[in-house]
Parts: sequence; C-alpha cells; structure tokens
Amino acid sequence: MTTPRLPSEGAPAVAERGRSGAALDRLLTLGAVIALFAVFSITARNFFTMRSVLSLALQTSTTTLMGIGVTFTIITAGIDLSIGSVVAFTGTIAVMAAIAGVPIWLSWIIGVAFGAFCGLLNGLMITGLKLPPFIATLGMTFVVRGVALTITNANAWPAPEAFGALGNNTLFRTGPQFPGFSYPLLIMVAVALICHFVLRWTRIGRYTVAIGSNEEAARLSGIRVARVKIVSYVLCAALAGLAGVILASRMVTSQPNSATGYELNAIASSVIGGTSLMGGVGTVGGTVIGSFIIGILTVGLTMQGANYFMQQIVIGLVVIGAVAFDQIRRK
Amino acid sequence: MHEVILQVDGVSKSFPGVRALDSVSFDLRRAEVHALVGENGAGKSTLMKILSGVHQPDSGTIRLKGREVRFHDSTQARSAGISIIYQELNLIPHLSVSANIFIGREPLTWMGALDERRMNADAAAILARLNLRLDPAIRLNRLPISKQQMVEIAKALSFDSEVLIMDEPTSALTESEIDELFTVIHTLRDRGVGIIYISHRLEELKHIVDRISIFRDGRHVSTDDYAALTMGEIVNRMVGRKLENQFPVRRNEPTTEKILEVKGIRREGVLHDISFDLFRGEILGVAGLMGAGRSELARAIFGADPVDGGEVRMRGRRLTVRSPSDSIRAGIAYLSENRKQEGLAVRMEVAENITMANVAEVSSRLGVISRSREMQESRRYVEELTIRTPSLTQVVANLSGGNQQKVVVAKWLFCDSRVLIFDEPTRGIDVGTKFAIYELIERLAREGVGVMMISSELPEVLAMTDRVLVLHEGALAATLVTRATSQEEILHYAAGLGGPAGRPWDARGAAPHKEPT
Repeated sequence: MTTPRLPSEGAPAVAERGRSGAALDRLLTLGAVIALFAVFSITARNFFTMRSVLSLALQTSTTTLMGIGVTFTIITAGIDLSIGSVVAFTGTIAVMAAIAGVPIWLSWIIGVAFGAFCGLLNGLMITGLKLPPFIATLGMTFVVRGVALTITNANAWPAPEAFGALGNNTLFRTGPQFPGFSYPLLIMVAVALICHFVLRWTRIGRYTVAIGSNEEAARLSGIRVARVKIVSYVLCAALAGLAGVILASRMVTSQPNSATGYELNAIASSVIGGTSLMGGVGTVGGTVIGSFIIGILTVGLTMQGANYFMQQIVIGLVVIGAVAFDQIRRK
Repeated sequence: MHEVILQVDGVSKSFPGVRALDSVSFDLRRAEVHALVGENGAGKSTLMKILSGVHQPDSGTIRLKGREVRFHDSTQARSAGISIIYQELNLIPHLSVSANIFIGREPLTWMGALDERRMNADAAAILARLNLRLDPAIRLNRLPISKQQMVEIAKALSFDSEVLIMDEPTSALTESEIDELFTVIHTLRDRGVGIIYISHRLEELKHIVDRISIFRDGRHVSTDDYAALTMGEIVNRMVGRKLENQFPVRRNEPTTEKILEVKGIRREGVLHDISFDLFRGEILGVAGLMGAGRSELARAIFGADPVDGGEVRMRGRRLTVRSPSDSIRAGIAYLSENRKQEGLAVRMEVAENITMANVAEVSSRLGVISRSREMQESRRYVEELTIRTPSLTQVVANLSGGNQQKVVVAKWLFCDSRVLIFDEPTRGIDVGTKFAIYELIERLAREGVGVMMISSELPEVLAMTDRVLVLHEGALAATLVTRATSQEEILHYAAGLGGPAGRPWDARGAAPHKEPT
C-alpha cells in the first residue's frame, strides 16, 4: 500500500496551480503593490505620509467593495456589469429616503437592500430565464440608471447633514497629525475579511468555486446551482449598494449620474488580483490587492502631475500586462 | 470483380501502453461497401485514423491505386482522395450548405469577394449527383442531422474522393433516414467509390455490405464476402478471445433484499418503460450498443435528466427526484462516464473533490467548513482506496485517470451512497488500474452496496456482474443471469436480434430498426 504522501507517477511536467501556486501569485501581486508604493514614495513628494496613505485607502475603499462583490460572480463564470449603475441608484434611493424623513441609519440600510434586490433580479434572470450574465446585467445597467434619473429628475438632491456621517467620519482621530481611520476604510476591511472567510471556508463559498470550475459536475454532486448563483449576484449587488450609500454619504447628495464605468474598475481590480473570467479561480485578497494597485497608480500619478488621460493609459496597460504575465508564467 | 483501390499491408501502431494495431492487412475495392466490425478497442478507429492521415503507422505500407502513400495530416489524405465522415459531424452550424461544402477553398469573384453564386451552383451539382434535393443556400442548422450528414458526404464528394470512410453513420438516424442514407451509399458505390463502413449495428449490414472484415484486439481476424457468413459466425469471431486473469475473484453475494426498484421509467424518444430491481450486494451489469440508452437510464434514475414517467423506489420508499440532490440524499450515486466533464472539478483539490457532494458532513450548522475534518475524512478515503496523490491539496487535474476515477468513487462513498451507478468505470484507464477498479467495485458489493455497472466491454460485464440488463434502442431487451449467458447472447439481444435460439430479426418483418412494441 502506498502512503498518500508519495509523489504521483505520471504527473504532468507542468503542474497546474494548486493552493501553493495561488499563494505565490498573491505574493507576487503584493510585491507589485509594495514596489509601486516604493517608487511613488521616492519620486513623488508627500506620497508616503500618513495623511495621503489614509486618503488613498478611503478613495480605494468603494472600488474594493465593488471588486469583492463582482469577484464572486466572476468565480461562478459569470459577470455583473450593472454594479456601476447600482451604485448611483442605491445612493440616490438612500438620499431620497433620508430626505423623506426616514431615520438616517435606516436610509443607509434601504440603499443596501435595494442593491441586493437588483442582484436578486439579476440572479433570477440568469438562472430562471437562462440569460447570459453579460446580457442580463447589461440590461440591468440601463434600467437601474434610468430609474435613478427618473426619481431624482436627474438632479443632485442635498441630503440631511447627518447623512454624511458614514462617508466622512473617522475613528481614532488624534488631531491633524493622525486624521483617523475613515468609516469606509473600516467597512471595507470588515467586508473583505468576512467575504474572504465566506469564499474560503464556508459551503456557499466552496459551491461558488465548484460551479465556476465545473458546473455540470457541481450539479451532479447535488449542489443547487441556481441558488448559489443567485446568492453570488445578490452579494455582488448588495456590496455595490453599500458602495453607493458610502459614495452618496461622502457627497451628502444624490448623484444619479455618478459612478459611470465604475463596474469596469471593479472588474479590473478582480482580474489584476488573479480572478479568471473562465470561472473557478479567484480570491478576495487578490481583488483587494488589485484594487489597491489601481488606487496607488491613480493617486501616485496624480501627485506626479500626470493627467487623468495618462492615468487611464497606465491602468489599461496594467490590466493587460497582469493577465499576460500570468499567461506567460503558466506555460 | 473490381480492382483493389486501397491496399493496407502489415500496418502496426502502438500508443503508450497499448498495441492498437498489430500487423494489420486489409484491402478495399472500387465500387464496394466493405464493413469493418469489432468490439471496442479492436483497432477499427485506429486504422481509420491512419487511413485518413490523423495518425501515422509505426510500420507497414498503405497503397492507394497501387502507389504507396504516407499522409502527415488529414488534408493530405483528403486531397489524395480519402475522406472520412465521423460520427460527430465536422460542420459549421451557422453557415449555409454550400459554404460548408467549400469551406477553406471558397471560389472568389475577381474583386476578391466570396462567389456565392458559383458556390451554390457547384454545390447544387454535387447534391444532384447524390440524387439529393437540398437547397444549397439553406443554413445548415435548419436541417435535421440526417441531411447534415448528407452535406458531409457531398463535401467528401467535392474532393473527388474515391475512398469514403463512414464511422457509425446510422447512430443518430431514424429508420427512414437510414433508408435514405443507404440509397445514397448505393449511388456512391455505383459511381465506383469504395466505402469502408464501420458499424456496431450488425443487423443493418445485410442491406448494404458486400464484404466484411472482422477485427479483434488490434488484429485482423478475417475478410469474407458478407453472404458467406452467418450472424453467429460474425459475432463469434468478434468476441473469440480467451479471458485471462484480468478480473479479481468475486466473493460478493447478492441478497434477496431489494435496494432499488425501478418501475416503468420512461423518457419520450429515449427510454421506453424500463423496469428492474437491484438487490443489496449485487453487481448488475447494463449492456447495450452505443445509443441504446444505458447512460440515459442511469441519468434518469439519478435525476440528472427529466423523466416523463415511472417510479424509483429506494429500500421500498418511493422517491421524488427532481434534481440530483434529491437522489443523492436518498443514497444514489452516479459516476459519470465523462469524469472530467461531469464528475470532477479538475482544478480543485483532491480533498475538495472528495467532500464536494457532502460538504455538510465536514461543516458546522452555519455552513463553516472545518478544514481539519475535511482533511481527516479525505485522508481516510485516499488511504482506503490507495489514491496516489502527492498531497490532499493537489489539484485533481494532475492525477492519472485511474486515480481520478478513485477520487470520484471516494466522493460518493463519502456521501454514504447505498446504490452506486458506474458508467463505463474503466474507460480510458490503463490495464493495471482497471484491476484495482474492479476490486473496488467487488468490495463495495461485498460490503452491502448495490452496484449498477454500465459497460461496453462485454468481458468486463461477464466477469464482474451477477445479472445483466441488455438494452436495445431505449427498451429493456433482456435481463440475463450472467453465469448462464454468453457474449454471443448479450450481443444478439443488444443488436435487437432476440436470443440466439430465439427469434431472428427477420421474424419481425422487414423493419429491423423498429421498436418492439
């Protein structure tokens, strides 16, 4: 009898990535973040200060939330294009609710709940009507944006001042030298930890990966594929809703025209972080790192005086480069 | 008698671990339909792939019209005049008939645009030669499979093929479509084309075949005029191998306790009122030709496909099966024939695959997986089934076929399954590992599980089962006690001929493909 620790005979020379491979990937991307950080710290004055680091984290937190959500749908071999519009929609809903006199805390929850509802519709279209995720969520993009514009009459409505607490308050502020941890940053950290745990250590997370890895095998193993997919779309859109509420709170206004194209930033974060659009592969940690790579590039380039157009070019090249590097290394 | 157009002499071909063809000789004449028969693994497909340039022989010669030829790919073979039509058609559904016929060599206008008019006209001419009335401009996917097959034949003809190889051409056709196909084959033959006709359906050969060659275990057994052989002789020559010690000693003893009862299960056009029982400790074989509905029966019981009627009882309790999760909970497991497509998530770990169908067992009530319990449980199965893997966290894609199969078995054992349905459990597995899989199946039965084993390998069925269900075109043709039957008897039932002593198919009239009603 063989002990299970013996190397298997006839294993292909090129080993497909196991867990250890994924860990190496994470290390590499994390290394890229640190390298980027170092470069900007040297070349851009004031980049490596407590103030700018915390401000970077604040700015990146909403993209990260969206990226984490969309990572779940991409792992199931799906996609959610509607999250940019959902951000605008849910922010608007929350502001309108607050204006209508709903308690502030409840208006925030209402925003997130409407996000989850959008995700439920996406999930039902994808599993019930068997629409391709690309189509279902593309359609949802327009619908949701249209609703947001309709209910606000395309205006930016000012919210009650207290509405801004979620986006603008901080914890542990000690004065000008340490501005404190902003709520969005703390929320992002909490969400990332929870989602990492869910994806890696719970049944629903395991099922999410299994469906993306081999949907038919998952179905024949008794996994309720439709249910798991719906959960992933609900989670994705709920996190977009959370991002929407935070953004609206930071502006203290409803912005029905905001957040266009944010879904692409979120997807880019996920892809840079190693999520495969073919499904079955992806981690929350990777997405967080990916989103911070984009964030650091944006802030760093801005501080160096590069204009917005230049930033777009660099981010595009990073997305392409990250995936190309991955392909080449795997050969 | 016509001249020999294709002459194969002493061709051998080995793949790692298998001698697929052993010094095979074979000849094809002009204007003949030459049947090639043999069990799975007899070497038919390998020979066809060599003739059509997909594989190259290790030794031996191939002469086409007297000249020795060596093809490096199928394009070369086709331009030399040898075309092959596979069971799975190689056509593009969204293009027109004529576009499919001329794909890759489309006629162009002087401006460099596609010359659709000429393409359609040329296609029409070719279709006319086959006496087919078919609009060349129609999109392919609007045609039934049988007509699409005609398009493949027309495509072959457009290369001026003089040798046409057809691999199981009738497997997807209805009775009247088969008649139409035979008419076209006759037309081709009368035009001087030599046709190699591969089929598992022995009963249909008499309608079209001139000569028949029988292959077994990579060797050529015989070539005769079809009229000179009886069906019994053909079957004997196909089977006639002596069994060596490929199988473990069987000690499982079927009990009288019905574990699974299937009553009148049916699915429109696929399964017709199939009923049987499976006993605890029994290994029940399921035999039949390709397309007889063996996997479909398993999938219907398991809830992987919807059914139109019938009932399944597990230990006397009637099951409501709407999806696999229902049958899994009742203790039924289905080990699919396509391990990689349907059985495993190959990019996931060994441990994750083992627990996939029963993650609840290693997680808390809130759904949090206990990694240590997962590792502990999967290690138990890795050791018990001697799965060779460097670690439990290895991705399954890196394991050998036999070990992947064991991972699938482990997955279902971990669900505490009481009925295991194996679908072609040894397909694509090397000989040494096969023995281990057989041992495992035997042990499962001995430990009180009910096993169903779908197999195309008759020796395997005879050696490993207690009883055999033989399916023919979606219906149960016979339930045989393995000890009292033979390969010949199984093959006869599978081919729809009735038992060897029973009715010859002619007795049912001139319609051999008709369902027994």
